[in-house]
Amino acid sequence: MHKTKLQTIYFSLLVAFICVLLPWSGTALKLRPDFVLLVIIFWILRAPNKCNIGTAWFIGLWVDLATGGVFGQYALAYTVTTFVAVIYQRRLVLFSNTQQLVYVLLLLIISQLTLLTVKIFSGNDVLGWTYFLPSVTGVILWQAAVALGLNTSRPSRSK
Amino acid sequence: MAGYHQNLDQQQAPAFFARGPSPLARLAFFSALSLALMATDSRLQYLGSVREHLMVVLQPLQLIANAPSMLYDSTNEYFSTHHRLLNENQFLRKQALIQAISLQKMKALTLENTNLRQLLAANQSLEEFSQLGEILHVGRDPFTKKIIVNRGSNQQVVDGAAVVDAKGVIGQVTRTYPASSEVTLITDKSLTIPIQIERNGLRAIAFGHGRDNTLDLPFLPANVDIKPGDKLITSGIDGVYPKGLAVATVTDIQTSADSPFARIVCIPTGGIENHKQVLIVSISQPDNPANTNAAANPASNTDTVAKTTATTKLESAQAPVNPAPASKVPTVQTPATTDTNQNKKPVNPTPAAATEPSTTNKPHAQD
Repeated sequence: MHKTKLQTIYFSLLVAFICVLLPWSGTALKLRPDFVLLVIIFWILRAPNKCNIGTAWFIGLWVDLATGGVFGQYALAYTVTTFVAVIYQRRLVLFSNTQQLVYVLLLLIISQLTLLTVKIFSGNDVLGWTYFLPSVTGVILWQAAVALGLNTSRPSRSK
Repeated sequence: MAGYHQNLDQQQAPAFFARGPSPLARLAFFSALSLALMATDSRLQYLGSVREHLMVVLQPLQLIANAPSMLYDSTNEYFSTHHRLLNENQFLRKQALIQAISLQKMKALTLENTNLRQLLAANQSLEEFSQLGEILHVGRDPFTKKIIVNRGSNQQVVDGAAVVDAKGVIGQVTRTYPASSEVTLITDKSLTIPIQIERNGLRAIAFGHGRDNTLDLPFLPANVDIKPGDKLITSGIDGVYPKGLAVATVTDIQTSADSPFARIVCIPTGGIENHKQVLIVSISQPDNPANTNAAANPASNTDTVAKTTATTKLESAQAPVNPAPASKVPTVQTPATTDTNQNKKPVNPTPAAATEPSTTNKPHAQD
């Protein structure tokens, strides 16, 4: 009955990607949540047979292109993150809302940590704690989306 | 309940059949692919053209993303008040007048300079070619300081061109795409810029600090003749930046007993994060092959950040090779220190004081 269409997934990813492309600057840039990763996590948890590690890797390449860094950094970060997401995907049904939020926060931080590791290996400075702010804003955005009715479990279940 | 069963079916049926390789296998495969890509992109220059082509695909998306802010700007402009426009007009007229005067002087000076150079049979200084660009957006990578401007290789922007605003140098073009180019700001950690102190002509190389918007002047001896408030200008010896542009102002100098070098912090003069318009200055026209500094302005657009910074670093590394054997300076030699010693000769007629500064100039540095 309820099926997620591939088009929906790709369209939402496109919208998230355009959100990344918006001309952010200053404090907004520091706070900008990783829209693309949030959407990927959402679909991984909701439709794991349609959106998987490969999708995340592919989108990561485009994010790499948009950020202008070395190819493969975001791709790697997204791959690692979605791997963790996929592993615990089954258990997510048992999670309460708060647990799910913590889980998403962890995923976002894993992604940023992977990126940080890669960057440090290529000779960049550690940026300090403000570097992790996007994870926090990301979770807030996630909660806002949940409040608006988006749900990782199937809609038929809650009704 | 029926729905729930369906969910279970949907979730579990593909788990056995349609899911394909296990997550771990996928992780290993895609991680390896990412690592291979990273290695290729950072060590070899194969992916430059791939990146350029993909950027063309990205261009329409970027246009869509920029549309809201552009619309906001244009409506803002449309509704800007009469009063504000009058004020701005007045201010601009005043500024134009002031600049016209200096421009006239400049013309006379240029003429005089050409004549003198001809008299000396010296090389002509390099022609500059500039165009106005608009900042599309700030770089998205939190680890680097970059901006993207709306001029690209279609508009003859070349890698290595200097980017300047009304107040001073803000950076250098490090990557060109067909319709946009990436500018690394002078505060980026990977960018170096050869400078000169305006007050005494001392030459050095400024490094971007990376984290906060400052520049460092490393490898200068603790007793170097630099004071807070000194202005740094481009020295023009690199063939990338035109000579005499404002770069930064020295704000802080710290010396410590355990280090032979001073820690000098400078704040860039150019409004690095304030302006919308920038000027892209290439020292010679891109279609002019008779450029003595071809290495600094490579003809190919596939050049990457690593390569351009490598050229700058190469220059800085090669700088001490010439003066070192001639002046026989005894202490630790770094690019910047030999550079200053070499440079002090024309300014200061007693090179002995410059080469043996450790004892004579010490009290001077501490004020």
